Amino acid sequence: MANYDVIIIGAGPGGYVCAIRCAQLGLKTAVVEGREALGGTCLNVGCIPSKALLHASHQLHEAQENFPKMGLKGKAPSVDWKQMLAYKSEVIEGNTRGIEFLFKKNKVDWIRGWGSIPEPGQVKVGEDTHSAKHIVIATGSEPAPLEGVAIDEKVVVTSTGALELGKVPKRMVVIGAGVIGLELGSVYARLGADVTVIEYLDTITPGMDGEVQKTLQRILKKQGLKFVLGAAVQKSEATKTRAKVTYRLKKDDSEHEIEADCVLLATGRRPFTDGLGLDKLGVKLTKQGQIEVGRDWQTGVRGIYAIGDAVPGPMLAHKAEDEGMAVAEQIAGRHGHVNYGVIPGVIYTWPEVAAVGETEQTLKAAGRAYRAGKFMFMGNARAKANFAAEGFVKILADKDTDRILGAHIIGPAAGELIHEICVAMEFGAAAQDVALTCHAHPTYSEAVREAALACSDGAIHS
Amino acid sequence: MEPIETDLLVIGAGPGGYVCAIRAGQLGVSTVIVERNRPGGTCLNVGCIPSKALIHVAEQFHIARLQARDGGALGISVSDPRIDLAAAVDWKDGIVSRLNSGVAGLLKKAGVKSIQGEARFIDGKTVMIRSEMGEQRLTARRIVIATGSRPVELPDLPFGGAILSSTQALALTAVPRTLAVVGGGYIGLEIGMAFAKLGAKVTIVEAEARILPQYDTDLTKPVAERLKELGVRVMTGARAGGHAKGRLNVETGGGSERIAAEKVLVTVGRTPGFDGLGLDELSLAMSGPFLRIDEQCRTSMRDVFAIGDVTGEPMLAHRAMAQGEMVAAIAAGRPGGWDKACIPAICFTDPEIVTAGLDPEAARAAGHAVRTASFPFRANGRAMTLGAETGFVRVVAREDNHLILGLQAVGAGMAELAAAFSALIEMGARLEDVAETIHAHPTQGEALQEAALAALGHPLHI
Repeated sequence: MANYDVIIIGAGPGGYVCAIRCAQLGLKTAVVEGREALGGTCLNVGCIPSKALLHASHQLHEAQENFPKMGLKGKAPSVDWKQMLAYKSEVIEGNTRGIEFLFKKNKVDWIRGWGSIPEPGQVKVGEDTHSAKHIVIATGSEPAPLEGVAIDEKVVVTSTGALELGKVPKRMVVIGAGVIGLELGSVYARLGADVTVIEYLDTITPGMDGEVQKTLQRILKKQGLKFVLGAAVQKSEATKTRAKVTYRLKKDDSEHEIEADCVLLATGRRPFTDGLGLDKLGVKLTKQGQIEVGRDWQTGVRGIYAIGDAVPGPMLAHKAEDEGMAVAEQIAGRHGHVNYGVIPGVIYTWPEVAAVGETEQTLKAAGRAYRAGKFMFMGNARAKANFAAEGFVKILADKDTDRILGAHIIGPAAGELIHEICVAMEFGAAAQDVALTCHAHPTYSEAVREAALACSDGAIHS
Repeated sequence: MEPIETDLLVIGAGPGGYVCAIRAGQLGVSTVIVERNRPGGTCLNVGCIPSKALIHVAEQFHIARLQARDGGALGISVSDPRIDLAAAVDWKDGIVSRLNSGVAGLLKKAGVKSIQGEARFIDGKTVMIRSEMGEQRLTARRIVIATGSRPVELPDLPFGGAILSSTQALALTAVPRTLAVVGGGYIGLEIGMAFAKLGAKVTIVEAEARILPQYDTDLTKPVAERLKELGVRVMTGARAGGHAKGRLNVETGGGSERIAAEKVLVTVGRTPGFDGLGLDELSLAMSGPFLRIDEQCRTSMRDVFAIGDVTGEPMLAHRAMAQGEMVAAIAAGRPGGWDKACIPAICFTDPEIVTAGLDPEAARAAGHAVRTASFPFRANGRAMTLGAETGFVRVVAREDNHLILGLQAVGAGMAELAAAFSALIEMGARLEDVAETIHAHPTQGEALQEAALAALGHPLHI
């Protein structure tokens, strides 16, 4: 029982960043978290562990595919799956411990347990009720279920189970060709699994630039992933060791079955707001179950805010973090702001995919005249020297003003390259501004500059 | 042979020259480029690109050896990795020759006439080109000198036999048991570290008090530590004497020593490559050993331009390219002037060092009251997943208005952060601008945002 200025429910990236910032601004702050470790989905069962496995499995791929080509010889590499998982756990622990340290340093209290809001200004955790002038809901999301597919987290798993399978499956079915499905599908394909990805829509990575979708699918196919698109999964039937997935192809309504020793359900995530008592409070939800908030992230109930995956917008850790920062500033009586037009998204496949802003599809739909400047990594010297010449950079600029409206990168280090475009877009830069900025040689980032050149006079190296 | 007349003659087909010629061709200027060797210059044939290929092989080999030794922290076991340097050099040569033909193709596509031969000035409008075909007189409205630079030779260690320039080091077909590197600048360290990883016992002989003297010690410390881990001996305040019977004479303050060195790599700097050019005919104004140019890259003679290494420091391919592009625009009658706010520099050591704009000392020397802050990669989630926690990002800003004056970083994969650094400096960003730009999670780029937050007094993740 204690009085706080702010209580944040949920210690994921949105929640813990909000808490640290609140504390830095002089507010007495607590975070309610029932998980055994801080960091939420992202650090415990999301971004961080999946990136650890992606990194490790990519090293294996390098050794198998590229070593012989560059004169490196030796016996074929083998995988110690337990050790790979141990590496992943070590990375998770390093990260979550880090958040604990930050809480101590910034004097943020961690109230262990699951929270509910019995009335405005109060947060109940177990038997204790704490009071707070401001409450921030940052409870995140959970894997969305699919009718007919029962999760056991052993044979039929969500991303959580997929990060700690007992062994590498021989055959794996991934339901959903979004970011999570493709990243984890890539991990297991590299480790030797026969992976089939089933997607309801006719393209992978819905919402991404069409050309990126096609290129990524082609490259992943070459890496051994199989795709069944335009297919509605009807059901999965699992035994202790195997599962059978039934799907119907939309084009001819034919029904098919596929067997696997592991099925990953990755059709998306939905807001997690169970047990908060939002109904009774009168906090409104959208049809998708997201908490409705105003421009200041306040719900309809004064003093109750919501951020991150629990509210509308892309379900991305950095979007949640930025909202967390902004809410903290608002609560402290300062100005908080999130530019929803410039939120990058990254897929950590090989090659990586990164995007920010508009796509050609959205621009066409809006009837906006634009120019697309594209440059292939094939024409980039560093990419050639590192076996990383697949993919391209595409910049979309307003036809009349040359202002950058969006960018789409599939290629090496795409996740780092996109930041230059984010900076440029925050400054309302024209493609020419990027073209006239000196880019170091030899780097992958030269491809970004060339794409910017391609928006007007044309690229040099293509 | 028939004399030729053209609008623009470019002498030298390195990155500055070929970019200038391609751009001029694209803009409709009738252009001829003369090169005595293969297109691409030092950079592409014997510099940046082949060294990065060698560095990539060496790094992969090093990882494989660690995996074989420790059983592999990532869970990948490799046994008995070996390097076939001759095969690696073949691979590297393959990349180089693809890039050679790539550049030749781009020149052709842009309508540029390429001549293989040596150009010698007769006057400011005329050169004589000597090639296998004989001599040919060429008259041009404008001439661009882009003949680059060559390695400086030491009187006691003339190139040949066991004494290698960077060019010869990159063509070795067997890893020497012992290698002495004379000159601890970026070229020497990049190549020296690569050979250390490939199994050579390397000694660095540096005349100054420390390696990489152009960088501050915060930036070079992680590199110095890595050298130690790799078993590289660093001798500072040391002067190399003669080499005989596999030993190099080195004089230090304390006396002299004969160190084992099957090969000696001399990387003590580069000097402009004017030989055979007949510059005496023009008596151009010089700036030290370099050609003096104005902000349009004009020399003291009307319509004779100079770009790249012949114009002095920084001798960087991307500076030369940017100059080339600008001169091409001027030749096409467009406005142009050198107004780059920064030219980033990358040192591809392990870890990599990136600098853009002013470091703290230079900023203070320029009369600014500055605030600086850095953010370490050990607190960055992406770095943890990559097993690359060494290093930091540092920001240097004006105390009064927070304008960013410089950005520096040391760490794995830093090269690709450089573009965002330059973009920020070009756009006149303040700390607040970086702090409030959403950086994707989990990326190394988040460290940049955190450094800005730290400079503002409130980092989130440390």
